[in-house]
Amino acid sequence: MRGSEILERMADSRSEDVAVIGNTDLSAADPHNNTMTEEGVPLLKTMEISVSEAEKRTGKNAVSMQEVYTVYLIETRPVNTISEGLSAAPDSLWRRYSEFELLRNYLLVTFPYIVVPPLPEKRAEFVWHKLSADNMDPDFVERRRIGLENFLLRVASHSVLSKDKIFYLFLTQDDGWKDVVYDTGFQAKADSRLKALNATFRVKHPDKRYTELKHYSDELHSVISQLLRVRAKVADRLYGVYKVHGNYGRVFSEWSAIEREMGDGLQSAGHHMDAYAASVDDILEEEEHYADQLKEYLYYSEALRAVCRKHELIQYELEMAAQDLVSKKQQREELATGTVRTFSLKGMTSKLFGQETPEQREAKLKILEQQIVEGEELVKTSNAECDEYVRNAWVDIDRFKEQKNQDLKEALISYAVMQISMCKKGIQVWNNAKECFSKMSH
Amino acid sequence: MSVSTPKLLPSSGKKSIHDIFHPLSCEEAALTPPSPELQITSSTGDKDFSLPNGTPVDTSSPASSSSLLNRLQLDDDLDGETRDLFVTVDDPKKHLSTMETYITYRVTTKTTRTEFDLPEYSVRRRYQDFDWLRNKLEDTQPTHIIPPLPEKFVVKGVVDRFSEEFVETRRKALDKFLKRIADHPVLSFNDNFNVFLSAKDLNSYKKQGMALLSKMGESVKYVTGGYKLRSRPLEFAAMGDYLDMFTQKLGTIDRIAQRIIKEQAEYLVELREYGPLYSNWASAEGELREPLEGVSSCLANCSTALEELTEDMSEEFLPVFREYVLYIESMKNVLKKRDQVQAEYEAKLEAVAFRKEERPCVPTDVEKCQDRVECFNADLKADWDRWQNNKRQDFRLLLTGMADRNIQYYEKCLAAWESVIPLLQDKPDGKGEMPS
Repeated sequence: MRGSEILERMADSRSEDVAVIGNTDLSAADPHNNTMTEEGVPLLKTMEISVSEAEKRTGKNAVSMQEVYTVYLIETRPVNTISEGLSAAPDSLWRRYSEFELLRNYLLVTFPYIVVPPLPEKRAEFVWHKLSADNMDPDFVERRRIGLENFLLRVASHSVLSKDKIFYLFLTQDDGWKDVVYDTGFQAKADSRLKALNATFRVKHPDKRYTELKHYSDELHSVISQLLRVRAKVADRLYGVYKVHGNYGRVFSEWSAIEREMGDGLQSAGHHMDAYAASVDDILEEEEHYADQLKEYLYYSEALRAVCRKHELIQYELEMAAQDLVSKKQQREELATGTVRTFSLKGMTSKLFGQETPEQREAKLKILEQQIVEGEELVKTSNAECDEYVRNAWVDIDRFKEQKNQDLKEALISYAVMQISMCKKGIQVWNNAKECFSKMSH
Repeated sequence: MSVSTPKLLPSSGKKSIHDIFHPLSCEEAALTPPSPELQITSSTGDKDFSLPNGTPVDTSSPASSSSLLNRLQLDDDLDGETRDLFVTVDDPKKHLSTMETYITYRVTTKTTRTEFDLPEYSVRRRYQDFDWLRNKLEDTQPTHIIPPLPEKFVVKGVVDRFSEEFVETRRKALDKFLKRIADHPVLSFNDNFNVFLSAKDLNSYKKQGMALLSKMGESVKYVTGGYKLRSRPLEFAAMGDYLDMFTQKLGTIDRIAQRIIKEQAEYLVELREYGPLYSNWASAEGELREPLEGVSSCLANCSTALEELTEDMSEEFLPVFREYVLYIESMKNVLKKRDQVQAEYEAKLEAVAFRKEERPCVPTDVEKCQDRVECFNADLKADWDRWQNNKRQDFRLLLTGMADRNIQYYEKCLAAWESVIPLLQDKPDGKGEMPS
């Protein structure tokens, strides 16, 4: 079965949460998908989205220097018009990569408990020697276009993300979208990296599931990195093997010129060797698609890691709040009973410099009581926040896991299909050559 | 002896009976019109042939240097049905003596020829015995192309003379060497060849030297008197040109083949690093574990298949090219000898012509030279055609073999990848996913 056929079959029977790469036509909603009925229909159901073209533009950048950049055409069209046979022209607008980045950063901050789909790579990585690392290279631009479309489709088919207003405006509002995003003030909400790092080392009661998930995301990242790196080397070597066979083509041709009976057989065999050498270009171009699929999950593992990090942060803050509350309660007790349970500098100083007056103590107690009340409130909300986060995140993580398994299976199938096709071509070429060789003598 | 065959002799190319019947006959040698100097007018049946050193030649035996007789004999080597001499080289064994360590090979002969006392022989020979045989053949059959031996000395100092691969490659080459001689209508009747195949103790025979030999003579060395050749017949010039160009092409192909082997070896290194990574990945996964393991073992199978392909190419393919280069070397030497014989004849002829007024008839000395030239040319042409035929066969086999090996490699890989597909497809009963 062809990889794409398998994909279509899966698309038909699966929930809409699975992004259909390159295929924007979704069939009816799966009635068993509870998240749908609860939260409504994701955007992709009602709107056809595509990133159809790429163009070069020149303009002035932030420091007033001339720059060349690429813009991508986003086309949208309501699904109804298509099914009714009225092919209205799609709405469209141009966006550049940095705007996609802005959108994604916004989504990351606004929905920290969601595994946000990644963008295609900013710079060409894991390149094998024939592949260009130049961002302006047409092949790179084309693969980026596909990646950007994939990103939009994934967001648009996500039950939570697709409902976001900013996302909708990204697709439809030509002017001033950037201002709208900045106005949301999402940048202020972004957690500092330092804070996040701090949390990683200080959490006392980490959630076991999240710890495992964190390890998994690290492992996934590591293993896919290695895989991509070695795959690029394999591609390089394969290229070399095929291309050297082209030399046979030339020498057989030369040799056939000095032969009489053997000449024809050699000459035609030489042509097959040339064809063999040339075939590797298409083979490797197709394989890049597999590499892109792996890359998506490489970056997805980073998104997964981000969700874990956010959880750690929330957990850490909860623990801090709880700890703070405990210490405040302790202080109150000490103040109220006048006993010093634990060694404290305050206790020492009061012993050294005399006790406080009852009025001072009363004042302090009052402040403490207030702080404790606030503290209890904080712990309560932190706890609730943590619980809510854990719940919401885990729903999306489950969704993500399922999506990942299906997508990677699909990627592996199409990779196997590619390899099978390559083997079959190889058999055919060598059979052709063999036939020519056997005509060399009787 | 029938005199009708001389019509074939003029350098229109010798056509063996076998070739005449076949529509796709070898035409390589039939490039040019007959050379004017070499008109064969006399029959050879009652000629007093002798080798350049004066040793008379027995014309009644088919093993004479008369190539007319050579031509009359059916070229059975290509049919195999009427072949009456079968030789095989196998069973290499290591021998340790106080002085040295060496390998011997078993040489088995089966024959119905009356020249042999027994119908079957089995003897053990070492490389230097083969070398001795070759030298003897070159000396006693100077007008014929003697097949090459594998290299005497190991070129790369690192190669192990006793490694399985080296011994096997050598064995195959030695086997081919003897088979080519056995298939040759003249060389196969050489007494030295007979002795090589049958003598229990070859060394004592070697020491005894010429005494046991037939009238063919021993250690005939061509007196290359340094005569200058006036003009080489086009036919032989074409042979020389062809050999030069062919050597060049062979060299190129050898280099390409080596390059491919090198590239494949490097590809293999990367593949062997690539496959296990899928296994690593599998250990971190749940539902994907089986498919990923499947991909990993598939890649391992492909790696093994590639390794086998590269080994085959190295052991079966490359040696044949090397061998043909050696063959061409010995052929060029034979061509040179021919040139010398012709030059000598021309010189003598010229000397006579110079004194033409004094002597009314052509002296037998010059006539003998002329015969020598004619015989050499005829022998050489016959061997050339035979060689061309064998060359075509050999390269056809070689190249189709190369194609076959590549096909087998791809078929193995195809099977490996096809077995991965079922692991990746959704199970029909739609079982629930395991926690990843």
